[in-house]
Amino acid sequence: MSLLTASNLTKRYSRGGKTVAAVDDVSFAIAPGETLALAGPSGSGKSTVARLVLRLIEPDGGGIVFEGDDFLALGGTALRTRRARLQMVFQDPLAAFNPRATVARVLDDPLRIHGIAPRTERPRRIAQLLERVGLAAALAQRAIHEISGGQRQRVAIARAIATKPSLIVLDEAVSALDVSVRGQILELLLDLQREQKIAYLFISHDLGVVRAIAHRIVLLDAGRIAESGDARAVIDAPRSAIGKALVAAAPRLDRNIRQDGSSTARQS
Amino acid sequence: MSGLRRFLHTPEAVAGVVILAALFAMALSASLLFPGDPQSIAGPALLPPFQDWSLPLGTDRLGRNVLAELFHGARTSLAVGLAAAAAALAVGAVIGTLAGFAGGLIDEVLMRITDAFQTVPGFLLALAFVSVVGPSLGVVVVAIALSTWTGPARVARAEVLSIRERDYVAGARVIGMHPLAIAFREVLPNALPPVLALSSVIVAAAILTEAALSFLGLGDPNRVTWGGMIAEGRTVLRTAPFLSIVPGIALVLTVLGVYLAGEGIVETTAVKRGLS
Ligand SMILES: Nc1ncnc2c1ncn2[C@@H]1O[C@H](COP(=O)(O)OP(=O)(O)OP(=O)(O)O)[C@@H](O)[C@H]1O
Ligand SMILES: [Mg+2]
Repeated sequence: MSLLTASNLTKRYSRGGKTVAAVDDVSFAIAPGETLALAGPSGSGKSTVARLVLRLIEPDGGGIVFEGDDFLALGGTALRTRRARLQMVFQDPLAAFNPRATVARVLDDPLRIHGIAPRTERPRRIAQLLERVGLAAALAQRAIHEISGGQRQRVAIARAIATKPSLIVLDEAVSALDVSVRGQILELLLDLQREQKIAYLFISHDLGVVRAIAHRIVLLDAGRIAESGDARAVIDAPRSAIGKALVAAAPRLDRNIRQDGSSTARQS
Repeated sequence: MSGLRRFLHTPEAVAGVVILAALFAMALSASLLFPGDPQSIAGPALLPPFQDWSLPLGTDRLGRNVLAELFHGARTSLAVGLAAAAAALAVGAVIGTLAGFAGGLIDEVLMRITDAFQTVPGFLLALAFVSVVGPSLGVVVVAIALSTWTGPARVARAEVLSIRERDYVAGARVIGMHPLAIAFREVLPNALPPVLALSSVIVAAAILTEAALSFLGLGDPNRVTWGGMIAEGRTVLRTAPFLSIVPGIALVLTVLGVYLAGEGIVETTAVKRGLS
């Protein structure tokens, strides 16, 4: 049974008097512990799909079933409670945090809101979370703007896993990082997936990274699904025009990442 | 600390701070230097200034010590000015944040209320409120706050409208934070700087409004106020103009001091933010 099923999702925006569908009749499913990549050119509706799945915006049509429940029917407290299971990591880790926050506060919030640990227990939990994502526990006292971009993205991942989610949406979560840091973060994501069976909705325009870590892929073009299937099969032999164009435009893909067992995305 | 140094290198700002410091010193020392009721009779009526050194600024129509009244009046002016401005900023920030963050109908309703308050001239509103409820220090504070909160509300709303689209607000929703907690813990503190930048103008306006209300006899009757002193002096303006001029100068200096110090603070913090 799938963890999340999106069916016929549609979102329209009116622009200059006429309405444009940013997402048009998009359906997909994500199984527990699976990585589904969402790729496509800029403006194809990837972020809009992410926001719809997270209920940050409401769709004009279609449905979302998450963990067996009609996710769109949830509201108020029920929705806020369920949000613990469905987390997100943003592209720009600086913009994703309150500029006044400290690392400790950023990680304290989800623990407090979802009653995961009592107040006295939380500092220890925060230290554990930081260690789990490869950061020193002492980092907790720093302000968000005092740590590096790579550290910040690790904090974002720590925050996302704090509530033990079954699905994390990653919207271009590694795109802003430089190549070596990107590899480490991808490694961390794969470790966490193996360990906690977390599923990822992995949004990226970088087919090299997608090929390295995704099981399946959905290619979007102008809000519609152009092609979908096994990630490696689609990227190695795209059938849709947009798939061919994206592969042709991609930097040299390292086609051997998954085969040799290494999960690091190496890409020139 | 470089912000402080830059602040001290701005002569206007230093002048403002010096004036404000003097004013605070006056307000705090009023009951030490001039114990007892400043409205009690201290000497012959209408004694001009600089004649009798026990009454350096002379006496008014009823023989009250003008200097003592001036010191005690500083108290009222400062207390009312600061309290009214604080209330106006707090109310404005909360209403602006709610309107900007909630959007939709709530925004519409709150902004129409703000419009309604803004179309009535602020001073008339304060005047009407005090005449209906009756003059007392608290009522004067509320009246002034009522007539000045709309500015901060608009500024706060504009700021919140841009902040609420930021990723970290979406992030707060994703972790399940309550909308009110998002509005007041995540958004409001980040929307405050431009709102607080209004405070010097608002404090100055509040002090002037208080003086104007007192001038019209709508101040707290149990307290000495500069506006009240000016009004008192008006009746003997030809023979003893100093009675109106002295509190008038105090008022002008105070407003100037508040304004200069406020501008200095806003400017240095703006430079600091621009550099960082
Ligand atoms: N709030 C909005 N109002 C109007 N149009 C919008 C809004 N959000 C998105 N769109 C439009 O919807 C389309 C899809 O946008 P979206 O951000 O989902 O694309 P994307 O695939 O994430 O692109 P990118 O790779 O550049 O991030 C774009 O044409 C965009 O202009
Ligand atoms: Mg996007």
